[in-house]
Amino acid sequence: MSITVVKRNGQREAYDANKINLAIEKASEGLDENITWVTQIASELELTLFDGITTQQLDEAVIQVALQNVKDDPAFDTVAARLLLKTIYKRVLGDYETDEELARLHLEHFEPNLRRGVEEGLLDTRLIELFDIPRLAAALNHERDDLLKYIGVVTLNNRYGIKGRNGDALEVPQYFWMRVAMGLSLNEDDPTTQALGFYEKMSKLEYLAAGSTLVNAGTSYPQLANCFVMEMQDDIEHIAKTVRDVMWLTKGTGGIGLSVTKLRSMGSPIRSNNTTSTGPIPFMHTIDSVLRAVSRGGKKFGALAFYMENWHLDFPEFLDLRQNSGDPYRRTRTANTAVWVSDEFMKRVQSDADWYLFDPLEVSELNELYGAEFSARYNEYVADAEAGKLRMFKKIKAREQFKAMLMSLQASAHPWLTWKDTINLRALNNNTGTIHLSNLCTEITLPQDEDNVSVCNLASINLSRHIVPSTGSGQARFTVDFARLEESARTAVRQLDNLIDITKSSVKEADFSNQQNRAVGLGVMGFTDAIEQLGFAYDSEQAYDFIDEVMEHISYAAIDESTELAKERGAYPNFEGSGWSNGLVPLDTIDRNEADRGVPITVSRKSTLDWDSMREKVKKGMRNATLMAIAPTASIGLVAGTTPGLDPQFTQIFSRNTSSGKFLEVNRNLVADLQKLGMWEQVRESILRSQGDVQGIAALPDHIKEVYKTSFQISPYAFLEVAARAQKWIDQAISRNMYLESRDLGDMMDVYIGAWERGVKTTYYLHMKPRHQAEQSTVKVNKAEELSDAASARAAGEGEKVGAGAAPARRGFGFSGLATKGE
Amino acid sequence: MSGILGTGVQEGLLLKPVKYQWAMDLYDQAVANTWFPNEIQLDQDIADFKRMTDEERHAITYLMSYFNPNELLVNKALAFGVYPYVNAAEAHLYLAKQMWEEANHCMSFEYVLETFPIDRDEAYNAHVDVPSMARKEEFQVNFIKRMTEQTLDITTTEGKQDFVRNLVAYNIVLEGIWFYSGFMVALSFRQRNLLRNFGGLIDWVVRDESLHLKFGINLILTVLEENPDLQTPEFAAEIKQMILDAVEMEEEYNRDLLPSGILGLNANYINQYVKYLADRRLEELGFEPEYKVSNPAKWMATANDTYELVNFFESTNTSYETNAKSVTGSKSE
Repeated sequence: MSITVVKRNGQREAYDANKINLAIEKASEGLDENITWVTQIASELELTLFDGITTQQLDEAVIQVALQNVKDDPAFDTVAARLLLKTIYKRVLGDYETDEELARLHLEHFEPNLRRGVEEGLLDTRLIELFDIPRLAAALNHERDDLLKYIGVVTLNNRYGIKGRNGDALEVPQYFWMRVAMGLSLNEDDPTTQALGFYEKMSKLEYLAAGSTLVNAGTSYPQLANCFVMEMQDDIEHIAKTVRDVMWLTKGTGGIGLSVTKLRSMGSPIRSNNTTSTGPIPFMHTIDSVLRAVSRGGKKFGALAFYMENWHLDFPEFLDLRQNSGDPYRRTRTANTAVWVSDEFMKRVQSDADWYLFDPLEVSELNELYGAEFSARYNEYVADAEAGKLRMFKKIKAREQFKAMLMSLQASAHPWLTWKDTINLRALNNNTGTIHLSNLCTEITLPQDEDNVSVCNLASINLSRHIVPSTGSGQARFTVDFARLEESARTAVRQLDNLIDITKSSVKEADFSNQQNRAVGLGVMGFTDAIEQLGFAYDSEQAYDFIDEVMEHISYAAIDESTELAKERGAYPNFEGSGWSNGLVPLDTIDRNEADRGVPITVSRKSTLDWDSMREKVKKGMRNATLMAIAPTASIGLVAGTTPGLDPQFTQIFSRNTSSGKFLEVNRNLVADLQKLGMWEQVRESILRSQGDVQGIAALPDHIKEVYKTSFQISPYAFLEVAARAQKWIDQAISRNMYLESRDLGDMMDVYIGAWERGVKTTYYLHMKPRHQAEQSTVKVNKAEELSDAASARAAGEGEKVGAGAAPARRGFGFSGLATKGE
Repeated sequence: MSGILGTGVQEGLLLKPVKYQWAMDLYDQAVANTWFPNEIQLDQDIADFKRMTDEERHAITYLMSYFNPNELLVNKALAFGVYPYVNAAEAHLYLAKQMWEEANHCMSFEYVLETFPIDRDEAYNAHVDVPSMARKEEFQVNFIKRMTEQTLDITTTEGKQDFVRNLVAYNIVLEGIWFYSGFMVALSFRQRNLLRNFGGLIDWVVRDESLHLKFGINLILTVLEENPDLQTPEFAAEIKQMILDAVEMEEEYNRDLLPSGILGLNANYINQYVKYLADRRLEELGFEPEYKVSNPAKWMATANDTYELVNFFESTNTSYETNAKSVTGSKSE
């Protein structure tokens, strides 16, 4: 078959294999087996060709062919990433041949593209007014694109890069980093120098700003804040206002936490028209619809989590919001749910006591109280209920409700469990009021009220980029670069503080709260990536000590930077009366929490840095009400090419389903370790067959099996311990994803009680080990052989009960001579 | 008669003792894997569909036009050709669940056909109007007819042979080769970031079909083992030829599916995959592989072979179980 390719201008030319081979060869430069790969990719490509393919389709086809080999060697991912980058360079900058030319194009097009962005009203005019653009352009370094994995290039390109009004792509990755850096330096005295500092850090993937910031920084629509936290008041005007605010915040891509605890329950009286309320559920459904309506052209729905305290009378229905079956008007398909749990409840679960549900209309102050005060008032209401003084209440077993939550969590991953008393008692920022809820990703803990929609601004340090080859004489090959870690933390805090003065939302209560509190949340990602390089198992003391030490250093530097910023720029308006102003640091809050709870909080109190002098420093002024929070980093983790947040490796080979497509992820640390042992090629099919579980592969040494467990093989208590140790240093919270193999509710109760006991503030999604898998396509499968294996195993187990199944391997039609006899 | 075959209506009324544990295990797995198509939202897919090329849209429409009636055809094969001739209660349980699943698949494709902007008359009539599609259907119908229109005595060798022929036709050929090649084509779009939610639906269907295949292959092997009179070279040769004929029919059908080609796929490519699948089925039945070709669709490792981690805000998670029944260990009670 003769194949012609249709060029962009419509002309046809004969397919030129040589041209493709050269491109693949170039993309494989510096990789081990580039020669064999060129032939392999080229021959697999030819299978997919057809007459009339366009040049653009051809580019994409080569990339897809490179990608499908990632299962055999992750270096193919590098080939695919480079091929994709090349198409982006050509689209944005035009044709080039050599690296020198590419560097020159980067330099030359930077200013014109910026100007075009400004002229088209896409970028902030100040980008071409305040900066020394030639100096910035000279710093652009396209070689840093080699740090990106394929999924990172795709995510950057699909999600974050700016496009012209006619759809032209205006940004290559380095332009993107620079634009974000500039957009976060607009308030600086020397914006050029500062932008260069931010660019340096982000383009090396040492830390990344969070999603909304990456999308909007430097643009004419600077909604840069990431998280919004609000509650609905029990009044129809405010419900309507909330719907309006959700629309605006969703348009600006912020994630929302929304408490509905204050809404009176179903059947509660309404005085004004002498009727009764429908309760919160229908209003939640309304908000859910809003999230789908304001959805960026149907491409990305709004994201929101509803919070409710579990003493609310309608809480049983709240648990059903995410069920797939049932009345669709009483469901929230898009919005998420989280429960705000008290110590009183946890204690009643432990003692198998009763639990009472109330109508908020009758117990309105419960939502404002926490800790021992909450317990006291709750018990008074219990007495009132039993004495017949309350209009409505319901009595159930605390344990029964806890199980219902966990059952729902298992079946639908909702509601997430968050602990209100731990959060409030360990907060340094609730001098302005009670914290009523967390946010979309359960890492934010800010007080809010009718006049304050709390805002948080996030960035995450990439731990794996702070692991360096060890210079010492010890056995360790790698070590942590603490100096760079401190530098990253300081630069990130300054960048976040700048953001607050630059960002705009369309909700005045949010802008107000942002100015009053200047709350930021610096977190980390790449924890598992880092410990694997260091050779630690996730569930090892070394890993626990590592996160403890690393978070202590980051926290110390971040807090110190905030005190320095306070000196330079002034303390945040709500500083007086805060925990900081009383000389408290995050570590001090564990004992306060424990004293109130009256039950030990089981986490180490060890510290290594000079916190006493820090206590003195924070008293004098902080620039920010909060400093630390560990976000999930599900998207920016992809850009950084590392494991998200504190997450473990899901398995050693798995697929990621994102809005940019489905991608295979092979653990590169494992592959590198196995390649060193000369074992990768021998075991890779077994690893794929077992869906990324290496434990059953006899040939592998124990230390490999120890470090490379799947998320379902790691003890769930290890996830809690890592979170508890990190939480020592974090004034806000952690998006703690959980993974469980066991579906036993008793086991689940123990795990979630364990979280509470360790002083963990919040948990996030629960991933259950999938039980169903389709027949695999790319590994050898023979169900008849599997069957006879299983049958003989069963027969062996059951001794004499030998039936048909225990016969020698069944051969089906093998008797016929149409099959080879067993060799 | 103590084997799995039989027609005694009064036999198989008690589940215990379970004789064919594999059937019971498959039933339990199938029940846990219960899903409903309306959990999938297709808004984004419709936007994708409108952006796709004519040939890509043709391929998707063509696939669904085939799947939709053929899911119900499988049900006829089960209802008329399998259920009445099987004695074991555990096998009946599984078959009842499978039949509901086929209905659910039909409703899933119906849901997509009714949602996507396509020419529905053409789509619904394709299984009659497109010769290569009609030919595949006719092949199936002939085997089912032998089970219904003539009186079949399951105690005779000829009756048992007809039973196996029908089983091979709907299970190995239709579900195990024809459907599977279609699944690969359907999932290929998601690899290009198109029709992601439709891809999620296909994931569910494939998981069901994987169990259907396990059941069918088990049943075939059990019947062969329990009935030595079926173990003749002539009968084996006939069965093998059925599969080879099915491959040839599928090749013709795929040339109509993709007359020229789309990004990443063309008819030859799909047909190499069909041969790869056919070899796998042949080996599972104890035959020598016929084609000995490699799997061209290595990307199925990503699309189908591995656990999927979903970015929750971006995609429907198909890993959760509906109506999960949690067990409670004794210690917490």
